[in-house]
Amino acid sequence: MQGLRPQELAEIIAIDRKKCKGCDACKAFCPTDAVTGKYGAVHRVDGERCLFCGQCLVNCPFGAPQDTVDIVDKVIARLKDGRTTVVAAIAPAVRVAVGEEFGLEPGALVTGQLLGALQTAGFKILDTNFAADLCIMEEGSELITKIRHYALGEAAGHAPGPLPQFTSCCPAWVRYAELYCPQLLPHMSSAKSPLMMAGALAKTYGATEVWRTNPENVFVVGVMPCTAKKFEASRPEFASAAAYWHKRGSAGSYPDVDVVLTTRDLARLLKKLNINLTAAAEFSDADNPLARYSGAGTIFGNTGGVMEAALRTAHFVITGQELAALELNPVRGLKGVKAAGVTLRDAKTGREITVKVAVVHGIKENLGPIVDEVVAGRSPYHFIEVMNCPGGCVNGGGQPINPMGTSWLDKYKAILPWS
Amino acid sequence: MATYDYVEKAIKITRREFLGVVGVGAAILWTGAYAATDLVQDRTKYIKLRAAGLYRDDAKAAARQSHNNAAVGEMYKKFAGKPLSPLAEELFHTRYVDRSKLGGMRS
Ligand code: SF4
Ligand code: SF4
Ligand code: SF4
Repeated sequence: MQGLRPQELAEIIAIDRKKCKGCDACKAFCPTDAVTGKYGAVHRVDGERCLFCGQCLVNCPFGAPQDTVDIVDKVIARLKDGRTTVVAAIAPAVRVAVGEEFGLEPGALVTGQLLGALQTAGFKILDTNFAADLCIMEEGSELITKIRHYALGEAAGHAPGPLPQFTSCCPAWVRYAELYCPQLLPHMSSAKSPLMMAGALAKTYGATEVWRTNPENVFVVGVMPCTAKKFEASRPEFASAAAYWHKRGSAGSYPDVDVVLTTRDLARLLKKLNINLTAAAEFSDADNPLARYSGAGTIFGNTGGVMEAALRTAHFVITGQELAALELNPVRGLKGVKAAGVTLRDAKTGREITVKVAVVHGIKENLGPIVDEVVAGRSPYHFIEVMNCPGGCVNGGGQPINPMGTSWLDKYKAILPWS
Repeated sequence: MATYDYVEKAIKITRREFLGVVGVGAAILWTGAYAATDLVQDRTKYIKLRAAGLYRDDAKAAARQSHNNAAVGEMYKKFAGKPLSPLAEELFHTRYVDRSKLGGMRS
């Protein structure tokens, strides 16, 4: 199939013909016009165009689009086999949404119970927030190298990639760029997404330093607000841990991240195991360094969060001082494109630089003009964050739906005479 | 610059279309004002509540900057060296694929 390599998962999102009413609502949310079908007729997803973002799924009023990759039972089998170190890598946005599946208020922050419930189920923890901090160190250093080279005139060993730099943590955005604007690829940060870093780290450092086990026995389960992460995990280049061990004399071939559960999948898994999140014992693994994270790591789940986290660190690295006010309000909130400038005085040279940044969320509505500027070579920015989903990962295609999306029908059913 | 507003993207189903979708009986209850807009606003509310949850998590964190996560510092010290080191490049960085050039079998 065009646009996919043989190993990659295809058709992650498919429309159930029996449920689709042909109402066209999903088309208003699809970033790539991948949904086809005439008004009133059954619609289908064109898997070559699709980013697997799941926005159609969470917005269809009839619950017709399905996530076709169901590996809940496979994960349960691994948890029970007694041989495998099953590591859950939990994304930031899961901890403020999974509670909804257990009757809690939307936005309820349940980190302690979530990690506790996972522990009860038999998982080891690598918080993806830890990997988000790691991502800032890598992606931020990459950005700072470019800024020092292009804007502050510092010589670099070899010319770094061009500015502006784009964030690379959203797999739907990466696939979008790869499919529809490959000329932007040199601008992409080379940093892997936090989940892919988490996988590579779990099967190297995690295996040897934390869980003290054979890397081949480590089974990494991403727990994500996102259906596109299922695709990302299947990309063949994400087998860095196996390559690392290969160089050190052990064979074995395995991906960095074995499978991905969405927030909805995780709730199903816990329910199958009779674990009630709200009654779960709080997490108790204080000596696991991979479960520690900073405030910067956790806001990755919000639009503007990656940018805010990156600027906190860039400020420190360039000026030698912490930002006085950590909340960068211009990059918060739901405005479609948010721009900001932060003036920094370089501690090394004494020169000043205003770092210009932009934040885009909702590819469908807001990406076009920003990309056009970059392609035309007149983008004013140094760093651009892109998240496919409106609002960022908190509104990802793997998040709980009720009482949003599908259930808007349920909501009106409540006032129907026959219900 | 475009202002993001979920309501702008509301699912607009007119009364007539709604009839087609759900049937006459239900449509009687569909007043012009009640609508998808209402439900899409609900969704924006969800986004805001969840986002606020993450900002609360940030505000109460002991360390609020990635470079102050001591466990990350320890990992570099014991294992990867420093950001962008050869090992960091090997494990934490990647390349992209120009998918417009991938051979296709589109029929
Ligand atoms: S929104 Fe749902 S029911 Fe309507 S066309 Fe799309 S998939 Fe079909
Ligand atoms: S998953 Fe995303 S890209 Fe694919 S059809 Fe649905 S909305 Fe469109
Ligand atoms: S914005 Fe987040 S949830 Fe949405 S596709 Fe990107 S990574 Fe996934």
